[in-house]
Amino acid sequence: MRGVAGRVLVRWETLLVVAIVAVGIWSVTLSPFFLQRANLLDLVTPYVFIGLMAFGLTFVVITGEIDISVASTLAVSIVSFAQIFAAGANVWVAALIGLAIAGGLGLVNGLLVGVLDLPSLAVTLGTMAAYSGLAFVILSGEGVATFPEGFTKLGGGYLANDELPVALLVMLFFALVLGIVLHGTRFGRYLFAIGSNREAARLSGIPVTRVRVTVFVISGLMAGVAGLVYVGYFGSARADAAQLSLLDIVTAVVLGGVGIFGGTGSMPGVLLALILVAEVRNGMQLANFSGQLQNIVIGVILLAAIVAGNVIAGIRAGGGRTRPRRSRKEVTSNAPAETQVLVDSNS
Amino acid sequence: MRRRTLVLIGFAVVAAAAVMATLGTAGTSKTRYKIFILPKATGIPVFTQNGNGAKKAGKELGDLVTYNGPTTVSGAAQVPFIDTATRQGYNAIVISTPDANAVAPALKRAAKRGVKIISYDGDTARDARTIFVAPSTNSLIGAYEVQWMGAQTNYKGQIAILSANATSANQNTWITFMKQELRKPKYRNMKLVKIAYGNDDPTTSAQQTQALLQSYPNLAGIIAPTTVGIQAAAQELKQEGKCGKVQLTGLGLPNDMRKYVKSGCTTKFGLWNESNLGYLAAYVAHNVLDGKLSGALGQSFKAGTLGTFKVVQSDGNKPVVVLGPPLVFTPQNIDKYHF
Repeated sequence: MRGVAGRVLVRWETLLVVAIVAVGIWSVTLSPFFLQRANLLDLVTPYVFIGLMAFGLTFVVITGEIDISVASTLAVSIVSFAQIFAAGANVWVAALIGLAIAGGLGLVNGLLVGVLDLPSLAVTLGTMAAYSGLAFVILSGEGVATFPEGFTKLGGGYLANDELPVALLVMLFFALVLGIVLHGTRFGRYLFAIGSNREAARLSGIPVTRVRVTVFVISGLMAGVAGLVYVGYFGSARADAAQLSLLDIVTAVVLGGVGIFGGTGSMPGVLLALILVAEVRNGMQLANFSGQLQNIVIGVILLAAIVAGNVIAGIRAGGGRTRPRRSRKEVTSNAPAETQVLVDSNS
Repeated sequence: MRRRTLVLIGFAVVAAAAVMATLGTAGTSKTRYKIFILPKATGIPVFTQNGNGAKKAGKELGDLVTYNGPTTVSGAAQVPFIDTATRQGYNAIVISTPDANAVAPALKRAAKRGVKIISYDGDTARDARTIFVAPSTNSLIGAYEVQWMGAQTNYKGQIAILSANATSANQNTWITFMKQELRKPKYRNMKLVKIAYGNDDPTTSAQQTQALLQSYPNLAGIIAPTTVGIQAAAQELKQEGKCGKVQLTGLGLPNDMRKYVKSGCTTKFGLWNESNLGYLAAYVAHNVLDGKLSGALGQSFKAGTLGTFKVVQSDGNKPVVVLGPPLVFTPQNIDKYHF
């Protein structure tokens, strides 16, 4: 019962694979077009930019923080890139500057959260609005749509008889690299340690502040990478780009099994979750299900995932029954004492 | 025991999938063409009407017409629908988009695979579609709104315009044509005193209406060429008890304006017939698929009960098929329209 097979079975990723297969079977019954090779290869392409942002966000969430400014970061990054390109710069130079700007915006988040120790939800809520406003200041109106084909291939190109999307390769590349960083390096282990118990991590000599700043820079940079794919895929840059995608990004992270209180999660999980969501939408679209019905199904899957996650947590704990997930309070159990004093002296 | 729980969950997922599968439509009857109508977003009455009109045309033509799209108004969200429609073997995609550029690469991908692209209402990039179906022309919209105002104010008195944004290209073009119409002799006793901007926001539009009423106590009428503005102005006039004293016209949705028409706040305003717009767009798609329309200027075709149309250049855009003058809503006909 407790053998290798058992452990593989209760892994979150295994459950996602089961779900992907089940949805695949369902989709085949829905539409004869689902199993076409071109369709299977192209199914994730519209969501690649969302996936890239979700990968970056995964680093942040594992350390017990959140970054809801990613979509706004993407917008600032691509409109800056577009303006620099429109001013006559080489497209690749402009793209690199756009990436650097995205990293810079992530650094701002990181310094506010990591150095000033402000709550990341409040900080990134603020920068989400501020960055979004900034994007409109930099480029308002219709946007730029005159990028050279050599560049747009990055997000919108197809190889191998026009069937293999370049964006898919870009996404798999980053999933691999970030997966290795997260699961195969000391830096990656630091993230889990900080997310599990920040004080314990600090006491054991982990450079907590530096790591927390770094994860926000990674999140910003990935928004920048997502932006370049976005511009390639949609052939244009606008200030309101990706404005509505935050929910999808968070969905991919949560469905991917990343614990929202930090300390748990995996890169393959997030990748599988993204594939699952893309597959569900694709299958239903091929059967002409309405967008509203698609949203309901996605919502139900997300809820089911949360319930299943709870069941798995219970099984792992060995009790065989569900158990509430660890709350944020336990993680930072050392902090309240100080705040208590402050509150008292003010009142 | 625990493993069995998970296996059960797995079975439940598959079973649920099987149940859902029966909900999917498998029926594919013999039809000539498959046409996909892709609105800016579904669940909005205007677009539902476009879809209904297109389906009506499909029935007449023997084509299968499918209406589907994203739930949020977004060009990016339309892209997966373009791709899946292509894979499903639709012969034509008829699209109204809020983002001309973002959908262009996907439309070109579809065109490369042999799908004909028609845009309507919200146009895409010119090289990404064969023909654009426009609801009307700027000059007609501008002129008609002034005519509706004149008819309500007996062609005299001070009038004001309640627009959306000062930077809105549509709005400014229509206002230019309104001014041109006002130069005609029959309007010599009508004077445009003020253009206010409500930013297409209900609150701001109501405040601007209030300001107009205070600054111009003798105001005879307001033209609001925006569906948000005209509704806010009607609401404000009603609150101030000015309905019937200060006339109102512009572009509005029948559903929004029905109660204000019934309470006499406006007796003439307009928009285009959204159902006919979808109907016409489907006929254009069918004729393009038949090879009768290629987008060359001057070509003509018959669009069912709407009569004969021509491919033209309109408002600096081409090739365009124009539905025609706006449709006027009055207390007599408003109950026939539901969007």
